[in-house]
Amino acid sequence: MKAESRAAWICLAPSIVGLVFITYLPLASMFVLGFFKWGKGAPDPVFIDLENYIRLFTADPFFKDSIKVTIYFSFLAVTGSMIYSLFIAMLLNRRVPARGFFRAVFYLPYVLPAMAVFLGWAWLYEANFGLFNYILTGLGIEKIRFIADSRYVVLSLALIAVWLSGNLIVIFLAGLQNVPKVYHDAAEIDGANGWQRFRHVTVPCMSPIIFYNLMMALITNMQVVIPALALTNGGPGNSSTFMTYLMYRYAFISNQLGYACGIAFVFFALISVFTIILFATSKSWIFYEGDSH
Amino acid sequence: MMKKGLFTLFLFCLIMVPLALAGGSQDAEQADGKVPITYSYWGTPDEGAAVQGVADKFNAGQDRIEVEIMSIPHDTYVTKLNTLATARSLPDCGIMNEAGVLQFAENGLLADVSGMYGSGDSKPLESITFKYEGKPVAYSAANEILVLYYNKDMFDAAGVEYPPVNAENAWTWDEFVDTAKLLTLDADGNNAKSPAFDPMNIVQYGCMVENLTWQLEVWCLSNGSGFYSKDGSSVHINNPAAVEAIQKIADLHLVHNVAPLSAGLTDDGVQRSLIAGTCAMTTNGAWNVGTCLASAREEGLNYGVAVLPYMKEKVTICTGGPNVVFSQSENPEEAMEWVKWYSREENSWALIEAGIWMPVLEKWYTDEDLIRKWIDNPNFPPYEEYKPAVVDYAREYSRSTAWYYVNNTVDFNTLLGSLLGDVWTGAKTAEEAIDDGYTSLVAAFRGDG
Repeated sequence: MKAESRAAWICLAPSIVGLVFITYLPLASMFVLGFFKWGKGAPDPVFIDLENYIRLFTADPFFKDSIKVTIYFSFLAVTGSMIYSLFIAMLLNRRVPARGFFRAVFYLPYVLPAMAVFLGWAWLYEANFGLFNYILTGLGIEKIRFIADSRYVVLSLALIAVWLSGNLIVIFLAGLQNVPKVYHDAAEIDGANGWQRFRHVTVPCMSPIIFYNLMMALITNMQVVIPALALTNGGPGNSSTFMTYLMYRYAFISNQLGYACGIAFVFFALISVFTIILFATSKSWIFYEGDSH
Repeated sequence: MMKKGLFTLFLFCLIMVPLALAGGSQDAEQADGKVPITYSYWGTPDEGAAVQGVADKFNAGQDRIEVEIMSIPHDTYVTKLNTLATARSLPDCGIMNEAGVLQFAENGLLADVSGMYGSGDSKPLESITFKYEGKPVAYSAANEILVLYYNKDMFDAAGVEYPPVNAENAWTWDEFVDTAKLLTLDADGNNAKSPAFDPMNIVQYGCMVENLTWQLEVWCLSNGSGFYSKDGSSVHINNPAAVEAIQKIADLHLVHNVAPLSAGLTDDGVQRSLIAGTCAMTTNGAWNVGTCLASAREEGLNYGVAVLPYMKEKVTICTGGPNVVFSQSENPEEAMEWVKWYSREENSWALIEAGIWMPVLEKWYTDEDLIRKWIDNPNFPPYEEYKPAVVDYAREYSRSTAWYYVNNTVDFNTLLGSLLGDVWTGAKTAEEAIDDGYTSLVAAFRGDG
């Protein structure tokens, strides 16, 4: 082996070891444990073939709803965060006064401790005396049970997720600053208005960034669990029982580890499907500078 | 077959080896000849210091056993114990969450403690003894019952008599609702009985009945049913009496406008109601006297304690996290000796004196001198009020919460809590919600859920 290769292997070794032991082996264990009963009623793992999966799809009172809720939440949160982040990033990309301050303000929610953020929102959303309802009542509008009503809870939680997407703003901002000014100038000379410049210059130049942010937002929001832990316990009813929360509940409250692994695997498969779809469709709309397409 | 066995073995090694390494091993005997045992607990650093103090006292008081304290954060306590059980590295003994006791017993993880107390000992109350297949597997380290707390200033301002402290005079449900109406005020100061009352603009509610799922059992019992049959062998939550009781709780908000909307999801009802100054009365556990009401009183809350209202039967439920001895222990006798010693009221005195724990031994509920020692101190409401409303009530009217004799209550309560979410908001009636989920509730009760 050449010295250069040896050095490369030595440098890569920690990452490889980390990936193998912290990512791939647990993933493999999770997949295998999905075929076992383990925990409640079975202190040692007992092989039960496909029983966990059969129960999951035929008898579990929470599972189907949890898939629907997760997808619904992800759709709202991803769409909302992408639009909000791009909009804020474009505003921050302009020469506004105190631009640095505003950049920090919009990024701040992302770095705050998640539980603290959610407990703060719990107060804002409180059904009887919360700030939002105080304002609504003051305006003569009927109170809204933001997180205590199954019709609004996912929407309310998605709104928090949108508010928390400061990381997307920063990435969008970096992307916007790399859009060559010369394209905008050329479009302007050709008579393009602001919307046309955005549609035909900014968006194509930003498409790799949009794709990256979309992917990150999708994966992050599908893994949503903290709002359910901090604010709703999956309720009211099952209306905020996200898949990850259901997994947590089965694994660590009900102690059905094998069954929870079954859910984890289905969840993994679901995220993979969405990711593959996103990748498959990306070629048609992502523009790479210098690409022949 | 062989391949499957090897595969399972591989899987087992994959998971067990790191856990076993993390858990470490325990020497059977220490250098000083004492038998080492480990006791796990959850709690704040202050509580940890108190537990450590008791362990130090125990260790210094004899030369046979050395107790080591294992602190685990409350939020991850059960998770950690489950992990340790899987790795066969459970401590010798520890405190446990009530709802997990029979689960652990079913998995063979708890030692039989029927021999812990001798014939001459004062034993823990029968109502706080956990039994699996008829055998005691744990005794609660503390007793706790559900009571009614109220804000005396709000009652005085409304010119309404305080709730009764004697169970003999307990309010009927209708009397309770009627009083709550007098104490529910809108922004213009009209109460819920006034024709000018504006339910859209309520600034003070008359009551909040805690609807955390396990606490709802008391109302089903009070209405002559319960979540389960008396022997815990079948599910009775769909009995008309149980359904009616749950609907009555929901109607406090939905129909009578005397209670705030509560989703029944968090365990902080007293803070959200009485201490927040939004409700005149609330139900909850006796532990609140020490955990939050004492400091609220210092900040000006003039509160009192009374017995619960009743529907058909006068009843409260009792509970309390137990100290258990794990069957994986190599020294169960020593562990039992420590647990029994540790459970003596004298060793938990700071918690009892503060009003967080209630004693477990029967003598503390019958001996006047001991009762005075326990509650005749400034941490509690006045003796004349607290004794009938809590001490006598606990002795004469309390019944075990279901998890003392019913397994799988975690899954049952989780499912029931989830089903009832739409009942509190009025999206479904209690009957609809329970009928829709009854099959699943029975499956959860059986352990299939």
